[in-house]
Amino acid sequence: MARYTEEELKEKVHNGFIVEYPDEMTEGYRKALIVQLMVQADTELVSAPAYFGAAKDAPSTNTMVSATAIIQDELAHANIAYRLLEDLGLDKEQLVYGRQPHEFKHPYGFDHPLENWAELVVANGLYDRAGITLLGDVFKNTSYGPLKRALVKVDQEETFHLRHGEMWMKRLANAGGEAREQIQRAVDWMFPMAVEWFGLPDDMKRHSGQLDYKLKGMTNDELRQTWMQSTVPLCEGLGIDVPAHWSEDEQKYVLDFAFPCQYDEDEKRWLFGEGQISWEAVFERWKRRGPANKQFIEAIQDGRGFRAQLAAA
Amino acid sequence: MACATSPDRFGGEEGGVAVLDEPRAYPVPPQARTGPLWDALREVMDPEIPISLVDLGLIYDVRQDGGSVEVDLTFTATACPCMAFIHYDIQDRLQREPGVDEVKVIETWTPAWTKSRISPEGRAALKTFGVSM
Repeated sequence: MARYTEEELKEKVHNGFIVEYPDEMTEGYRKALIVQLMVQADTELVSAPAYFGAAKDAPSTNTMVSATAIIQDELAHANIAYRLLEDLGLDKEQLVYGRQPHEFKHPYGFDHPLENWAELVVANGLYDRAGITLLGDVFKNTSYGPLKRALVKVDQEETFHLRHGEMWMKRLANAGGEAREQIQRAVDWMFPMAVEWFGLPDDMKRHSGQLDYKLKGMTNDELRQTWMQSTVPLCEGLGIDVPAHWSEDEQKYVLDFAFPCQYDEDEKRWLFGEGQISWEAVFERWKRRGPANKQFIEAIQDGRGFRAQLAAA
Repeated sequence: MACATSPDRFGGEEGGVAVLDEPRAYPVPPQARTGPLWDALREVMDPEIPISLVDLGLIYDVRQDGGSVEVDLTFTATACPCMAFIHYDIQDRLQREPGVDEVKVIETWTPAWTKSRISPEGRAALKTFGVSM
């Protein structure tokens, strides 16, 4: 018999109650928490092969060490989230090695190969910022104690990744020429990708329970605004164009393109000219997964063979 | 030229900043880390933990000759993931100081860094991030 009804638990967490143990959860709370942790874990995990592809393009040994340190952090963050899922009765081994590539729950943006150093640092500057925006909100608001404590380290390290992104975006943008063009091209496809990452607009939001259970504090649109509040000025300050601007009338950042819109995977280009598409079409694209989905998951799951060899040795 | 440890060296307008190639107390003792260049370096944070490079004890010496500045820098570990990062941050910050045209960062491994080089301020900061020394 559960200790609390769904309604009782929702009220308790909004009054400051911190959930520590599975037997304090309701079924609804547990399910919503699992979904949240799964997305968190899978996102951190899949960022590793995506980043690794571009880390090989690092301009020096020292800079490659920075990039691989970031990858190592991401893998550790994934481990933390999978470990928390184990407390909820899931099996880490199965989650990492037992799923098909399309079953992972990371954002569609991480299914795309990062092809050069500029793309890596823009991913640090834009995607890691999206990560901090989301996890920073979770850290501040979550009603789940073990996650809150784990995020102290995670958020600290994500800040390092973001600084890496900002510093290099600045360096390459200021260098001019091809370096600057590469930054612009990377921002062109990754900016809308990150905007989409925050999900459905609030007025269309399906009910997920994450706000009711205080697993997070901000809505999708609020999180999207928070992200744009720092991303847009950063890019503008570097003379890099972004398809969004501050609206005095609305007192918020608004997008300069029909949202959501179609994406050409082969060209790595958003088809702004073709206008707005439905969210159903976006969900279908997300479900099909992006071009590198299989390759990235296989790269991760290859580790199983290596581990078996180590165990046998 | 003044002896590195003499009060003149640190008493003038240059604070704890020596002239290039001057013999010096090494690393420059904490009480002598004064002057505009040291203050500027105090604004350069370690990329992983928000405490300054000076408080971490990573800056061993700063020398200026006209528009040229040399910084002796060490790291907490030989495989520090932030080496290039720290170089750039130092250069960017010092080049914003009036009269500084060129900044050369020299990596120094002797004497080795130990945690005893962290300043009391640095220790207090680390404590707030949950790192015990």
